[in-house]
Amino acid sequence: MILFIFLALLNGMLIGSSRAINGQLSAKIGPFKASLWNHIIGFIFLTLILIVMGQWQVDNPADIPFSAYLGGFFGALFVAVSSYVFPRLGAMNAAILVISGQMISAVFIDWQNTDSLPSLLRCLGVIVVLLGIYLSRLPNISKNKEITND
Amino acid sequence: MIDRLKDWLLAIAGGVLLALMIEYNSLLAKHTTPYIASWVAHGMGAIVALVLVFLTMMALRPRQKENKSPPPSKLPVWFYLGGIPGAFTVVLAAIAINGSLSLSEAIALMLVGQVIFGMLSDHFGLFLVLKRRIILKDFLVVTCVLTGSAMIIFGR
Repeated sequence: MILFIFLALLNGMLIGSSRAINGQLSAKIGPFKASLWNHIIGFIFLTLILIVMGQWQVDNPADIPFSAYLGGFFGALFVAVSSYVFPRLGAMNAAILVISGQMISAVFIDWQNTDSLPSLLRCLGVIVVLLGIYLSRLPNISKNKEITND
Repeated sequence: MIDRLKDWLLAIAGGVLLALMIEYNSLLAKHTTPYIASWVAHGMGAIVALVLVFLTMMALRPRQKENKSPPPSKLPVWFYLGGIPGAFTVVLAAIAINGSLSLSEAIALMLVGQVIFGMLSDHFGLFLVLKRRIILKDFLVVTCVLTGSAMIIFGR
């Protein structure tokens, strides 16, 4: 159990490092090119993993709905947007804002899919997330707000 | 300030795009495996990104002649390898969920890991990120966003 908790935490940190690296690349060559590199390198890496695992077979490829292929489209846009804002907002703020957008839209997506209103706890969760974003927009009261640029 | 607000709204919009990406990729994973779904999504994403690069080049062509920036020839190799930890995420998530964690628990822990990484990254300037001091307010923001996210994840 502890091992899997550690793995999941590590996974979040890997996601963060991927976005940090793409952010650096985006600052040099632009967000869309950074997104292109991310997808090409990721594709090659996953090709190697699939070759090692040898699991290529898909049961009923004809049954896959067209919308299942839309993930790549949103992924390409997401990596571009996230790479663009990452160096501009800083790692923590970028992570916090992306998570907020992701969580709040997850509530709406599930609402759309299940056609039943989100639970009270989920609605409260949205309010608490929004409170966090509001706090992040408040000017800093403390004096050490300047960015150390070394 | 307006510029900061734009970045800020873009980051939230990025989260919306991410949620949509996960929604459709999980649909694909349901019909295949997490690995094949991510592989297909990366391939599709590469094609879409290529089209976007092409479109922006067409749109920016007249302006680029004036301020031609020097070619970024001396970038270190790791600048181009962000796709590897990104793709490896799929592997670790599959292992964690095949282990003893539920999907919700794994997602929640991954969010915590992202935020921890963000704070460490700001503090130590990991991956050449601009250093920024973490202040008390940051902890309040993090607590609110992570608590709210946990309520959303576990409050189905």
